[in-house]
Amino acid sequence: MANSAIPRDFLKNVLQNGMGRYVCQLQRITFRFCKSHPGSRHMRDFVENHLLDFTKKNPGVVVYLQPRRHRPPSIVAEFLNGRRETMEMIGKEPGEICKWTEHMRGRSGVQIVNMIRNNHTETPSTQGIWHPFMFRDSTTALAKFPSSQYSAVKQTGKTATDFILEEVKKK
Amino acid sequence: MKMGLQISKIRHRLLTFNKKRDFNVKMAASILKNIVFTSTRSILPKTLRISTCIHHKVPKRNYDQYRMRYLKEMYQKRLDVGPEKQRRRSEWINWNYDAEIYAFGQRLGEDFNESTLRQAFINRSYVEGERKKRAELGIDINAVPLQLEDNTQLADDGFALMSSYVKVYLRNIYPYMFEEGISAVHDYLTTDKMLAHIAKHIGCEDLILSEEIPVMESTLSTAFKAVIGALFNDKGQEQAERFVRDFVLPQLIEEDINQLWHIVNPMGLLKAMLSLSGKGEPEPRLLWKSGINTIMSLYWVGIYSDKEFIAKSPGETVLIAEEMAAREAIKKIMKTDDSRAPLVLGNAAENLMLDYNRVNLSAEDIIRKYYESPHPQKDFSTS
Repeated sequence: MANSAIPRDFLKNVLQNGMGRYVCQLQRITFRFCKSHPGSRHMRDFVENHLLDFTKKNPGVVVYLQPRRHRPPSIVAEFLNGRRETMEMIGKEPGEICKWTEHMRGRSGVQIVNMIRNNHTETPSTQGIWHPFMFRDSTTALAKFPSSQYSAVKQTGKTATDFILEEVKKK
Repeated sequence: MKMGLQISKIRHRLLTFNKKRDFNVKMAASILKNIVFTSTRSILPKTLRISTCIHHKVPKRNYDQYRMRYLKEMYQKRLDVGPEKQRRRSEWINWNYDAEIYAFGQRLGEDFNESTLRQAFINRSYVEGERKKRAELGIDINAVPLQLEDNTQLADDGFALMSSYVKVYLRNIYPYMFEEGISAVHDYLTTDKMLAHIAKHIGCEDLILSEEIPVMESTLSTAFKAVIGALFNDKGQEQAERFVRDFVLPQLIEEDINQLWHIVNPMGLLKAMLSLSGKGEPEPRLLWKSGINTIMSLYWVGIYSDKEFIAKSPGETVLIAEEMAAREAIKKIMKTDDSRAPLVLGNAAENLMLDYNRVNLSAEDIIRKYYESPHPQKDFSTS
């Protein structure tokens, strides 16, 4: 796939979340599984042993259980920004299902894309960005070029030649 | 003996399944269920292995001829039928309004009164729709009253609180900003678009009871105001103000507040401001220029008062640069330049002492005072 076609984006904070109050962006999660098929064995185990812990810890997330006859297990996460993500849970053990559930809980709901940079700001500099006139003396605005004053070599201190000439004079 | 017979039968069926490719998956699963529930453990692993074959996808190099024709047909059918009808989230099977209402309060960390919160999500259009439905069914409304109250009153309460608090907060945070600027920032924060955006991201959209679909911005905005109103009615002013501070005011982060207020004549305002504070007239001077004969021309104009530098700014022409420099100077006087302190939000704002009676200076008053008072060096050309 062409590099330009792969979606890339800057880091985003939905609703400036956490600046005032943190709101978990996962609004509801549905666990879909079969009540009898061995393919959903781990999901049933998860529902029996781990799901209540999750609901107790996250009362702001609505949890639904959706039994479907003879269909593979999956989780459906719905986020506050309107996106909905499904993830197949075939062959995933209860521990792994716990981890993916936590993954969904911690997400902002924005599609996962390549990050252009790991940090982003709308105000890159509060003191103003650099420009070529930033440290220039404003008297140059009136000067006529070529000028002998500005064409002269800038004396910044003693040069190596000066030093040698001085040493020769001393001797 | 009977059990043994049954198992051998199933084994036979499973073996024949491998030969028949178009065997129904449902059928296979029901066979498996039979085995799991009726047979002994010793035969389970063997049959399970067969069952895993059902789902195992063998990679193929060929395309099935029928598949292309099938997909084409389905594509054409979709075009004929048109796009899928938009549905409410509540039309799906995994929906429990009670649980959703409870989770809404928990998500925001607020202890809402449930009946008030329910009312906050009832739009006027929904109540009217319900009335209409009853009339169509021939139910007498007087005999069986519709016990639904819409959120209009709550929204009005909420908006009044939000509006006043946003202004009080901004006046205290930006004490030198003009009243017109404060109003502009306030208007930006309380537009339907902004409030709908916030309402969506705290989870109001699916909970709203209204006739239209998808939910309109104005409906979302009303519901959000009503949520604030509900909080105000049940938990008091302080809690409602905290809610506004936590959800509405952070939207100003990364927003250039100086751009929200459009100043028509910045130089005129600057002149009036300097004169009233006892300083000399603003004097624009060209600092630098570059590439003046090209389309990328650049001028830097600085503004001085009493030979003291106030502000400078670049522009494509001298006039643009002068106007921008005047804006920059006003920005500096209002102390809202880019290097201003960040907004006080979150836990830090808990102990914020706000003066509720504070009113900032008004730019209109300043201009009126300057141009109506007798002044020796008055220049009306810039007013």
